[in-house]
Amino acid sequence: MNDMEHRKTNDGEGRRLDGEEEEEEEDEDEGNGRGLDAWERAYADERSWESLQEDESGLLRPIDNKTIYHAQYRRRIRSLYSSTTTARIQKGLIRYLYIVVDLSRVFDSSLKRLLNYRISVILFYFPGLWLRNYLPMERLESAFAASEMDFKPSRMAVVAKHIEAFIREFFDQNPLSQIGLVTIKDGLAQCLTDLGGSPDSHVKALMGKLECSGDSSLQNALDLVHGYLNQIPSYGHREVLILYSALSTCDPGDIMETIQECKKSKIRCSVIGLSAEIFICRHLCQETGGSYSVALDESHFKELLLEHAPPPPAIAEFAIANLIKMGFPQRAAEGVISICSCHKEAKVGGGYTCPRCKARVCELPTECRICGLTLVSSPHLARSYHHLFPIPPFDEVSLSLLNNPHQRSSRACFGCQESLLIPGKYSDGKKMLIFCNEFDYSISIACHLIDCVV
Amino acid sequence: MKFQIEDVTVYFPYDNIYPEQYSYMVELKRALDAKGHALLEMPTGTGKTIALLSLITSYALSKPSNPIKLLYCTRTVHEMEKTLAELRLLHQYQLRHLGPAARILALGLSSRKNLCINPAVVSAENRDSVDAGCRKLTASWVRALAVENPNIPTCQFFENYEKAASEAVLPPGVYTLQDLRAFGRDKGWCPYFLARHMVQFANVVVYSYQYLLDPKVAGIISKEMQRESVVVFDEAHNIDNVCIEALSVSVRRQTLEGATRNLSKMAQEINRFKATDAGRLRAEYNRLVEGLAQRGNLPISDTWLANPALPDDILKEAVPGNIRRAEHFLSVLRRLVQYLHGRLETENVEKEGPVAFVASINSQAGIDQKMLKFCYDRLHSLMLTLEITDTDEFLHIQTICDFATLVGTYTRGFSIIIEPFDERMPHIPDPVLQLSCHDASLAIKPVFERFQSVVITSGTLSPIDLYPRLLNFNPVVSRSFTMSLTRNCICPMVLTRGSDQLPVSTKFDMRSDPGVVRNYGRLLLEMVSVVPDGIVCFFVSYSYMDGIVNTWNESGILKEIMQHKLVFIETQDVVETTLALDNYRRACDCGRGAVFFSVARGKVAEGIDFDRHYGRLVIMFGVPFQYTLSRILLARLEYLRETFQIKEGDFLTFDALRQAAQCVGRVIRSKADYGMMIFADKRYSRHDKRSKLPGWILSHLRDAHLNLSTDMALHIAREFLRKMAQPYDKAGVSGRKTLLSEEDLEKMGDGTTNEMLF
Repeated sequence: MNDMEHRKTNDGEGRRLDGEEEEEEEDEDEGNGRGLDAWERAYADERSWESLQEDESGLLRPIDNKTIYHAQYRRRIRSLYSSTTTARIQKGLIRYLYIVVDLSRVFDSSLKRLLNYRISVILFYFPGLWLRNYLPMERLESAFAASEMDFKPSRMAVVAKHIEAFIREFFDQNPLSQIGLVTIKDGLAQCLTDLGGSPDSHVKALMGKLECSGDSSLQNALDLVHGYLNQIPSYGHREVLILYSALSTCDPGDIMETIQECKKSKIRCSVIGLSAEIFICRHLCQETGGSYSVALDESHFKELLLEHAPPPPAIAEFAIANLIKMGFPQRAAEGVISICSCHKEAKVGGGYTCPRCKARVCELPTECRICGLTLVSSPHLARSYHHLFPIPPFDEVSLSLLNNPHQRSSRACFGCQESLLIPGKYSDGKKMLIFCNEFDYSISIACHLIDCVV
Repeated sequence: MKFQIEDVTVYFPYDNIYPEQYSYMVELKRALDAKGHALLEMPTGTGKTIALLSLITSYALSKPSNPIKLLYCTRTVHEMEKTLAELRLLHQYQLRHLGPAARILALGLSSRKNLCINPAVVSAENRDSVDAGCRKLTASWVRALAVENPNIPTCQFFENYEKAASEAVLPPGVYTLQDLRAFGRDKGWCPYFLARHMVQFANVVVYSYQYLLDPKVAGIISKEMQRESVVVFDEAHNIDNVCIEALSVSVRRQTLEGATRNLSKMAQEINRFKATDAGRLRAEYNRLVEGLAQRGNLPISDTWLANPALPDDILKEAVPGNIRRAEHFLSVLRRLVQYLHGRLETENVEKEGPVAFVASINSQAGIDQKMLKFCYDRLHSLMLTLEITDTDEFLHIQTICDFATLVGTYTRGFSIIIEPFDERMPHIPDPVLQLSCHDASLAIKPVFERFQSVVITSGTLSPIDLYPRLLNFNPVVSRSFTMSLTRNCICPMVLTRGSDQLPVSTKFDMRSDPGVVRNYGRLLLEMVSVVPDGIVCFFVSYSYMDGIVNTWNESGILKEIMQHKLVFIETQDVVETTLALDNYRRACDCGRGAVFFSVARGKVAEGIDFDRHYGRLVIMFGVPFQYTLSRILLARLEYLRETFQIKEGDFLTFDALRQAAQCVGRVIRSKADYGMMIFADKRYSRHDKRSKLPGWILSHLRDAHLNLSTDMALHIAREFLRKMAQPYDKAGVSGRKTLLSEEDLEKMGDGTTNEMLF
């Protein structure tokens, strides 16, 4: 798990770094007054050659960017920490999030543009080939029933892939929260899954429904979601995350009213656009306090999506302290057959029993179907806790201090026991323990608790 | 913030200033120092207005011994209000810093239609009827009668204003038209006459172009302005056309019929007066014998539009003897109308110079040049004598007299063109006789001569060397500024080919080619599927737009476009267009997305902004050349070639490109905004056309974007929109400093400013 986390962040940082380099490159291009051709840019985006480096013997090796990433990561941690401690931001830990996926036709527009382009290139170089009357353009178009080519292989596939990753990450970071899925298709909003705490059921439902058609309607989606979220108890934070691919919305009524209703119900609406900035989306996000972003490419999309995983600051007038009744069910005895309240069928072993009504549930966290009690386990609570009290950033220890003869014993990392020979060590402020880079990383990103190591 | 430009302390109401605003002020200051004229081009959205106001008012404050007056001319009432609002902000800032010493009086002046507060008068539908309505209540003889007979209605606001006499003044401050009306209501004074009166004492006057350029209006409003004034023409890219229109008259059949009606009515009046009050007519005759065409000091409410000819060209002589008597004058006018009627009967297009025309009038109608020249003043005098108040009824005869006076006064720079029908609709007879002025420098010459500094400024004045030649003046400063941007927020492209590589153009021989029409349609169709919110399309003319939209409709392209966005079309009807615009905005607001089809040189292209999401993309289909077969244009081109040595081609390209630039400039109104511009015509890729675009567009037009086909443009559009949707940092990234604070300015206070910035 730690390993996976680590890699993930690494990727993210790597991309950002690339992004910066790209920016500079762009500037230079403009300075020269020459831009890249359209076809060149498609390759330039990936820049696979830049992550290679020649070593002394002439072999190509991947660049070791670790130290740079680490520095950047520390900067981020520091800013995160300072903002939470100084401002004392309240955060909603119990979130009810609806993910709205726009599956309108724009998503699935055909390859014809690419095709047009190819043909025009051919014709440009071989004008003799011009067969305007013969070219069966329509037939060719229908043969390529793929998707918009800006995300490969198709927008739909990319979105689905990343939603899956997001759902898992979301539940990892917010174990007390629930997600529901809504799709927009043919101008209608459909509820794919109700609010629930099981990542697998959501992912399964989404993967089963991946096809797109018709127009998109923001208002219908908001109306639907508003209807569901309005019933959520007041301690829950209502959120909508809309993955919007279309460039327009065909609404049955006045969308401004719907937006005002969402605002009144304190539903925080965020939008991630896939193609360009749309005014109504920006307006929606501004009104409801959400964030609006537009993805540049696939990795940027992923980054933007994952930014929604940690809980957002709570809306001020809504963040009243509240006591919530919760149950901590016991794992039921193995080998006993009982009727599961969530699947409504008899199951053998491996369940939990609600402490109030003794019903059996399969997974935690959830809400008891019988008595409506919120059922969690204590690690879930603990995991949510770190958002409120992040680990203070570690201090860097200079090499000279390490070489201090009085502290010889601590020249190895407290976590992995490897000796620290390269510079860049970090010590935990209170207990004066020394960790290596790798461990600093894992503690802050994955466990969020110093005590679990100590 | 406040800072020094050489010896002037400039008060600027904002905390930061754009570098181009600073350089703009520096140039302007030099022009003021040199007491010369300036020609300055700076893109819209960079705060031209506030830079101008801030520098000129600060300049006036720094020279208290010899304060200069600012005459700020705008094109529309809306712009006037905006300017005054900015000025108020600036004024408050200056008051905070300087205290009462900074007090100024600034006001807007507009027609009675916009200023009148008498509900009975202002409810009339057009400007002329409001003017006439006002005159009916305020003319001196009406008021004289009302003193004896209280049943005759008068305007209480005007009466109060008159009663207050010298006490009726505006306290210092900044007054928009609305403020003036409110002030008038509060005090019970007529805001129009109060403003007219206060214009002479104000430090800043904001009014429309006509008040300076049209001799008829300028003669009464701007007569008293002192020489130490700075005149600013804002958005002045069309100033030559305004000048020409101010001296052009067109006469149609309706005009002549109306004039005949007016004449018979006047004849009745004369007979009535002869029977009742013959002494008055005799008194007028005597006055004319003494050589006073105008009565000495008219009461303010009786003043009329002044002579349509420029003040220097008006003869200071007595009215010739043969039109001194009212009935003689009427018969002269009757003969003139008769003659014009005859001329309109023609079957062919005729073109004549004023000299030949006057000679022919002389031989056929027996009216010589001198009589023509005095027509206007004589009519004016007669109408006052006859105590005619419903002036809107008499517009036709006034037009005829305008025409006569101009034709009698000028021998060069004009021509008379008679067309029996509209070139484009040859089967509908619609004869029109036009006296068209070809020389823009005529109308503006008195302005340049009278005032110390004249500043002509706009977002599109390129090529900047042509304006001094057209207007015949020597600017001491003429510069074009570019925009400093934190990101490349405009993306101009020249599209020369469709997806099938066939060139696209609205050239005459190509425009009806189905391939071109289809390619334009495909272009729009592809663009509506990638561009969010609003798209504006400009066509070269109404007839071309009608044609192409019809073809698109037949071939189904329009239907496909409608699946992505709603389509709205500008028509020649103002009300319809306003409605369309309104709905277009609503469609953009609610996320449905919309396309607006409009016409270059139309109302929309000149005055409506498509900023932010109302215009993410503007497509200019074709090069908006003027209708080159138009007689008036041909005559003007000939004149320009002979007089100013400006080649026909040069002028036409210049005119087309400034219109195109004006159209595409509609999308960018501030630096935080972004927009794309597509010039869809192969002719734009030629250097002679392209180089005439303003610098701020050219500097963003990369070589790679010069010769695109539809699909390449699509790709660029998609990337651009993605990039622009990213969060935007106002202050600018390091290296490109686009907002200067007070310290920054102090640091570079030495002479190296310009080198640092550009």
